[in-house]
Amino acid sequence: MPRRVEAQVVVIGGGPAGMAAALSSFENGARPVFLLERGKYLGGILNQCIHTGFGLHYFGEELTGPEYAEHFVEQLEKTQVEIFLDTTVLEITEDRIVRAVNPAGVWEFYAENVVLGMGCRERTRGMLRIPGHRPAGVFTAGLAQYLVNVEGYLPGKEIVILGSGDIGLIMARRLALEGACVKAVVEIKHSLSGLLRNYVQCLLDFDIPLLLSHTVTKILGRDRVEGVLISRVDDRGQIVSGSEQYVECDTVLLSVGLIPENDLSKKAGIPLCPFTGGPFVDEYFSCDKAGFFACGNVVAVFDLVDYVTMVSTMVGRAIRINPWERKPVRHMLVPASGVSHVIPQRIREGREGFLFIRSQHAFRDAVLSFSFEGREFQAVSVPLCYPSEMVKMNMWDISWPSEEGEIQVSIRGKRVHGIG
Amino acid sequence: MEKVFDVIIIGGGIVGCAVAWYLSHFDLEVLLLERESDVCCGVSKANTGIIHSQSYWTPYTLKGELHLRSLALFPQVEAELSLHFLKTGALTVAFTREEAAFLRILKERGAIPGAEIIGPMESNEIEPSLSPRVFACYYDPETRVVSPFAMTLALAEFAALNGVSFVFDEEVMEFEGGDKFIKVLGRNDCYLGRRVVNCTGLSATKLAQKSHDAVPSHRLFRGQYFVLDRECDSLVRHVLYPVPTVESKGILVSPTPEGNILVGPNFEPVDEEDTATTFQGLKEVEEGARRLVPSLPLEQTITTFSGLRPTLPERDFRIFFSSSFPGLLHLCGIESPGITASLGIAEYVGEKLKDSGITLWEKRVSPRTAFPVFRNCSFEERERLIVENPDWGKIICRCEEVTLAEVKHAFFGPIPASTLDGLKRRVRVMAGRCQGGFCGMYLPIIMMQELHRGVKEILKSGRGSFYFLGKIEDVVQDNAQTC
Repeated sequence: MPRRVEAQVVVIGGGPAGMAAALSSFENGARPVFLLERGKYLGGILNQCIHTGFGLHYFGEELTGPEYAEHFVEQLEKTQVEIFLDTTVLEITEDRIVRAVNPAGVWEFYAENVVLGMGCRERTRGMLRIPGHRPAGVFTAGLAQYLVNVEGYLPGKEIVILGSGDIGLIMARRLALEGACVKAVVEIKHSLSGLLRNYVQCLLDFDIPLLLSHTVTKILGRDRVEGVLISRVDDRGQIVSGSEQYVECDTVLLSVGLIPENDLSKKAGIPLCPFTGGPFVDEYFSCDKAGFFACGNVVAVFDLVDYVTMVSTMVGRAIRINPWERKPVRHMLVPASGVSHVIPQRIREGREGFLFIRSQHAFRDAVLSFSFEGREFQAVSVPLCYPSEMVKMNMWDISWPSEEGEIQVSIRGKRVHGIG
Repeated sequence: MEKVFDVIIIGGGIVGCAVAWYLSHFDLEVLLLERESDVCCGVSKANTGIIHSQSYWTPYTLKGELHLRSLALFPQVEAELSLHFLKTGALTVAFTREEAAFLRILKERGAIPGAEIIGPMESNEIEPSLSPRVFACYYDPETRVVSPFAMTLALAEFAALNGVSFVFDEEVMEFEGGDKFIKVLGRNDCYLGRRVVNCTGLSATKLAQKSHDAVPSHRLFRGQYFVLDRECDSLVRHVLYPVPTVESKGILVSPTPEGNILVGPNFEPVDEEDTATTFQGLKEVEEGARRLVPSLPLEQTITTFSGLRPTLPERDFRIFFSSSFPGLLHLCGIESPGITASLGIAEYVGEKLKDSGITLWEKRVSPRTAFPVFRNCSFEERERLIVENPDWGKIICRCEEVTLAEVKHAFFGPIPASTLDGLKRRVRVMAGRCQGGFCGMYLPIIMMQELHRGVKEILKSGRGSFYFLGKIEDVVQDNAQTC
């Protein structure tokens, strides 16, 4: 029969979010705390990110992914958080029974609190419907990163990267460093999808061309990729006929977006936000269903791991408080013009924690505006904002209205085309 | 003296494997030659996997006759192969009074108890996402769906367990005649057979022409498909057919036994063996399917693919002995309903061989037992499996919940997987919503370890489909001046 375990906190996922949430739960007095990770090591995707740039905000220094992870692994070792590696959660029920398997057997955790920290997954070729044959040599950028950085294999020699997301940019540099030829990074939008610093450090410094407003319209080759057709895209996102050009390559990397991985959340009946793909959360990252928390990329894809750590530590503080005694939700944040999403979507007190806003477009001289019942109650000027870089604010810097209700968050400013 | 086989089957698609399954019930020496490194790599790989009921047979044709014969053999196959056919039932959807006339034909043709013609209200009740513009539907309770891979593989495994030999990576180039047997010349080797059965799908007419038989070339009609995420599994419960045209059964929306929704195929002529998908083709499928299910969530697509129908001008199967090589049996024009009819075809081939002087002595056969599928097991069963073998507790593919035990088994079954696509067809790794984004990290490495293969021998499917270029340090050496 399955092994039955009682737990005050069960954290699912041993990446940056899960590690920080488990630590903060333990530090705030929760006992026992379990951290379940399907991989052989803690750290999640950080382990394959051997480039630097992690920790600037949180530690004030540039670390590699494994170094950033190591800090939290060491902290966890000093606690009695029980870590289960090689353990895959298959099911979470609405009443917080977490069913997992590992080589020892089937486990059933009866949890007072469940913390979702499953991260995200990559968008695939199928989701984009890129036509053509289905040869070997089409990889998502994150998969290629694992194969190169962790296992030490080179996927190919002549590479076209679709999408200018951060992993794609970083992989362009990585493959160039290993002697592969990166022919182009192709981006369907007319602005960059990744961080500006990655454009400079990964493409400009390595003379790798970036084609904005272009996309891959066919993958050629039956057994292995032999080339791609690249076409121009107009302002309305339509492919410009006759603009296609053939580029020979043996590998296509896709860096076309990340999706919060919420299969388990859905099974547990947790309400999800249509704008982020993750659970609705409040400033403590508790979900709309009592006893459930969610943090990190499972909520919405963050652009910096430092932010993930910051939000995940909020969980521990909230777990201290009995969910039934927690303040009721006072405000609902809704994205309005110029904004693609706002995290968190629920505000109870608005005194602790952070607000993250992702813009829809690149804007110059922008104003971030908060309104309540059609009346703007706060406006913050933002010199430059990009869809790829979240705007972060402290909760206490916002003068929340005293009445409860819906708050609209919008951004207005001059649209920026190109890199900016 | 070289070995002489009683029967050599060329082609390891659904038909070749069904013939192998059928013949393995008799005391015969049977060999199956396949060009690819696995079964189910050609026409059979890309289709809807529907076992069409007797309502959908085509009267006055050989394909219709074999369709009906086949249906009678399914219970035997289910028991012998421990293979599951999902009984979904089907709705044929008419949008106009004129179209509805055809529904009566289906009802009469099938004479199936429980089948009936129903109105829009009732249709909507049993299939809520069906278009509100429906005029009437024919409800058929007997239609089933199967995974074409699972069925082909199960037939092949049964045949292998019961004595049929399989040779992969062997393309047949030519035949040479003899008094008592035919010499089959392959790319690598030659084989002697008293009878030879040409089940090569798309290549069947080419091979027949090479043996100097007068048969028109296949015309190729491509069909493109979408596969939707398993999250959409409650969207449709029945196979949804439009009223067919003279050309094809039309663009369907169908559940699969794995819980995905399959959408397609269109019907477009192509000049060569081109199985690429196209913008236009997929668009056509989208429009066709939305007529049936307007709310079809195509944003939940996990992959698209296309397949080819090898058709003859008469739009029927043509099964005949060669005039140049007596004993060489050609199976040409095996298009839809090829999977449904496959067992009937096999039985028919058996009779043809018997008529030509091959004695069919029945022998005792051992059934094939299916390997457990972790995802379908209860938690109690899972616990038992893991205690027996800890590999069951190691999930390799998170989307489809496939364990290391299942992956390893796929490498060592009666018809072992030798490529990544072979693994996919057997245990559904890389077939889920991440399409290999996660398990693609582990599978090539597991494969190298289990099969003692080198880095460059890890293939997706065909010979040139290498997964890696090589170990970084090796590649960097000879790569220094690429750019």
